[in-house]
Amino acid sequence: MSDVGVHVALFLGVAAAVVAVSCMFTEADDARALRLFPRRYASFIVVSALITGAMIVLEHTLASIG
Amino acid sequence: MAVTTGTTAGATGPHPTLASLATWLVPGAGHYMLGNVRLAAIGFVVIQGLYLLGVLLSDGLFLSILPPEMRGTFSPVLSPEAGNLGALLAHVQTVGYGGTEPRVWPSTIHVGVALTASSGILNLLLAARAHFDARARSAATVEGAAPHPGQAVLLAWLVPGGGHFLQGRRARGLVVFALLVGLFALGTMLAGTANLDRTRHFYYWGGQALLGPIALVWEQVVGHSIMEAPTRYDEAGVVIASIAGMLNVLVMLDVYGTSDARLFGRPVPTESGGDAGATGGVQAGAR
Repeated sequence: MSDVGVHVALFLGVAAAVVAVSCMFTEADDARALRLFPRRYASFIVVSALITGAMIVLEHTLASIG
Repeated sequence: MAVTTGTTAGATGPHPTLASLATWLVPGAGHYMLGNVRLAAIGFVVIQGLYLLGVLLSDGLFLSILPPEMRGTFSPVLSPEAGNLGALLAHVQTVGYGGTEPRVWPSTIHVGVALTASSGILNLLLAARAHFDARARSAATVEGAAPHPGQAVLLAWLVPGGGHFLQGRRARGLVVFALLVGLFALGTMLAGTANLDRTRHFYYWGGQALLGPIALVWEQVVGHSIMEAPTRYDEAGVVIASIAGMLNVLVMLDVYGTSDARLFGRPVPTESGGDAGATGGVQAGAR
């Protein structure tokens, strides 16, 4: 697996744990917490991807030292 | 199930915030103000004893781990020892960063700093317990089917997921244990055990100490290894292990909040705002 692939896989794994614990914190009922997970996980990934995209654009424009 | 707080229900006493702040400064002070002298004495002896033993084993040099460029007025506040604020302030005043001359760390420094860090974390848990006990004291009735939040949150630190087990939420407890310990194991594997050493990663180590004795004992068994070659994903591993510890804070808050809500007869937290398991206790006049 490429270096980027490993980092993405690690991110997806850690994000799953973070979102799972946040679902438990938000929702006391186990079944409801489980139903919350997919939507929250997707939101977490999409928002993180948008932030990453913005950071990459900034890095290659305003913050570029090359 | 009635909860024993060691104080008289319906009585007046210190404000919950004052009780917890007093405990933060002096372990057991909050419970002393509440009239629970026994718990105050046990808390003081255990927590200050851990700190003192840790200082003896580490020669009081835990702050000297920080490199000179990271030493500032508020640098110690970000360490787990800040949970035992009085001891930390005394430590900063007397030993500080260990002087200008470099000193050799004792061979027992790793056990010592684990004990001082544990002292800080345990004192925060005692302060949280003092807050509940102060509210319970002023309430007319505290009765519900839940363990004391202080016991539940202590067990959650000792074993991730243990607090949920105590509350009867076994499936959730197992998931928490598997997630957090699994995450910590993944981080340790990626870091090649470099994360298991406070002298290498002072602040990240503080994060993973929140996972409890599992992380601290694991470190004593396989940590402090000599790194002969750089590990490819060591930085990711250190961060992931620290995240595992910090997620346990969220777990402890969940455990505390659920016991608190059940005992005071309030709905436990849900996203919809509905009642997902309140046990019908009497609404208490908590402050």
